[in-house]
Amino acid sequence: MEAEKNQQQNHHDSHKKAGPIGIRHLVAVWIGKTLIALTRILGRGGTTLPGRAALAMAPGLSYVLAGRLSRGTIVVTGTNGKTTTAALIDGILEEAGFKCIHNQSGSNMSWGVASTLIEHSSWTGQMDADIGVMEVDEGAFPGVTAGLQPLGVVVTNIFRDQLDRFGEIDSIRDLIQKGIDAFPPGSFQVLNADDPSLAALTSGKDVKRWTFGLELELPPDEFLNTGRDIKTCPVCSHKLEYTRFYFAHIGHYQCPSCNYQRPEPDLKLTSCSAGNEGFNRIRISLPEQKLEAELALPGLYNLYNALAAVTCARALGIPGPLISRALKKATPSFGRMERFEKEGREIVMALIKNPVGANEVLRTLLNQPGTINLVVAINDRIADGTDVSWLWDVDFDQLAGAKSRFTKIIASGRRAWDMAVRFKYAGFKPEQILVVEDTGRAIEEALEQTGTGSELFILPTYTAMLEMRGHLNKMGLGSPYWEGS
Amino acid sequence: MGKINIYHLYPAHLNLYGDRGNMLALCRRANWRDIEVNIVPVGPGKEIAFTSCDLLFMGGGQDSDQKLVAEDLKRRHREIQKAVQENMVIFAVCGSYQLLGHYYTTARGERIGGLDIVDLYTDAGRGRLIGNAVISCSLWDPPRTLTGFENHGGRTFLGPGVQPLGTVLYGFGNNGADKTEGAVYKNIIGTYLHGSLLPKNPWLTDHLLRKALAFRHQDTALRDLDDSLEEQAHQAAVNLAARRTHK
Repeated sequence: MEAEKNQQQNHHDSHKKAGPIGIRHLVAVWIGKTLIALTRILGRGGTTLPGRAALAMAPGLSYVLAGRLSRGTIVVTGTNGKTTTAALIDGILEEAGFKCIHNQSGSNMSWGVASTLIEHSSWTGQMDADIGVMEVDEGAFPGVTAGLQPLGVVVTNIFRDQLDRFGEIDSIRDLIQKGIDAFPPGSFQVLNADDPSLAALTSGKDVKRWTFGLELELPPDEFLNTGRDIKTCPVCSHKLEYTRFYFAHIGHYQCPSCNYQRPEPDLKLTSCSAGNEGFNRIRISLPEQKLEAELALPGLYNLYNALAAVTCARALGIPGPLISRALKKATPSFGRMERFEKEGREIVMALIKNPVGANEVLRTLLNQPGTINLVVAINDRIADGTDVSWLWDVDFDQLAGAKSRFTKIIASGRRAWDMAVRFKYAGFKPEQILVVEDTGRAIEEALEQTGTGSELFILPTYTAMLEMRGHLNKMGLGSPYWEGS
Repeated sequence: MGKINIYHLYPAHLNLYGDRGNMLALCRRANWRDIEVNIVPVGPGKEIAFTSCDLLFMGGGQDSDQKLVAEDLKRRHREIQKAVQENMVIFAVCGSYQLLGHYYTTARGERIGGLDIVDLYTDAGRGRLIGNAVISCSLWDPPRTLTGFENHGGRTFLGPGVQPLGTVLYGFGNNGADKTEGAVYKNIIGTYLHGSLLPKNPWLTDHLLRKALAFRHQDTALRDLDDSLEEQAHQAAVNLAARRTHK
């Protein structure tokens, strides 16, 4: 621990610059805090407007406020798993006695980070927290992190996501590289060794690199295999070969042409077995010890998320027993398989945003026994991705294979009609498809046809999830995210 | 009852923007009319003759994949060229639309030689052209609209013997300047529009199916289908595109 403490100390010296805050920044804080208060009175969680307005007043506000966190900021980016990974890191840090702030609503553009910082600053611009854990959109990553001088970064994976904003996957990697290049000496980076596009990222001078990977005997997951994104070597473009293959392009790879290969990970998840009460027992092998933990989060995906968080915690020098304790307490994050109950009917809400993630959700749904009630709500705002063509890469065809188990399926949101056509071409009869563009009415319709004792699945894109969560709150279900859960 | 052989070129590499949707639309709309569809995936290096192909589908790829397939395509150049002269149907989206031309220049400034089959070329431009788009397409008289989503860095310019697929009503089209979108040459249709394009524009799907049937002199009459969902999706997408504002 002693050596680790010193290491932490080195990181943090650069973050202590808490002189008086400039008047421009102060006014921006006031504007932000006022708008946060107002949006809450109106019953909305303000994550966009307050941050945007404050940044318009003082573009460097986030850097000034983040600089007042005594320990600095950890940034989590990547395509999938950002929210869950950031929540797990936050949980571990809290368990270790740090006071954390975290953009837990998943508002991960520059204004979301700004709103979170403003919310936790005093009216005089003082920060009452040690560490910021910020999930940052991969497109916004270089811009947001440039001035933040982060303590470290965690990159989960790169899949095909919102290509309309970033161009193509090659460009996402370039964006992440650009962001990482600006990291200060003494910072750390945590990368997924099983993602060939990430292991090829280079680190700056004096940046400590930590990698993590799975070492499990698992058959390849064909269900998750529609997002075949990066099959070619990021160094020489030759086709990669795999000795172990988990899903999409994730696994143990090597390039037969230039010998680029999966690096030996610093942390390996070596075993996962079903434990008590739905917990998975996992074993993680660290350089100098083994760590056992119980994890309530389901799926292969969450094994990677947990491993990413544990690796970050190790980079910060947090001891194993604290990490295990925090993992056991972890519950699904905002909109990731959240559960609500309404008069004997269970509502399960699961965010969908790209083919690989959506397929994982669909499989969970098909594993439920009995009749399935389903709403899929697709918006095409910037935070959802304005291009809805990814719907055609999602395996909705699997659902149609079990169509007799579904009541009327409801397509909702701004792109409800696109979704309805997707269902039709997946193999559902038009009579089984109901289009209700308004997301609130879609929930009402769906609840009406959901019998007591059965489950309603709601699969929204990001902004549709915010809308629908608001509707559920109004029905007295769940609590608004700014009040915590 | 007819039968169509669809060759799907490099399905593992050129599958960027929901190209599966285009294949699915062709298959479903054929099957709903009891037309049999046989799909032949063509991977790089696979020895295959195009002699039994009625419709060749080529999707979009990202630069790194596109380079890989460009090499493989060149080997097939003569064969494809011959089939094109015989009026084989080709439907090419985005990246492979560019590959049909003389060359295209990647975002990193690398010039990649194309198939030289259609008189067009693609230069790199500043910034990507991204968003919902609607074009007026004169494959029909009166013209009909096609709507999809475009996302391309390349600016494509057509030679004198090549017709555009349509005129841009909303969006950027081939190059953001001359209001053209896509290209039609013999039985080749190339376009930047995905979304997926075919499910929401069923008249284009049926056009391709008819052309593919005609290629081997089969009956081209297609039974009418209930397209009310598709038409509503088309209209909703047109309305969204009409509302958008460009920077």
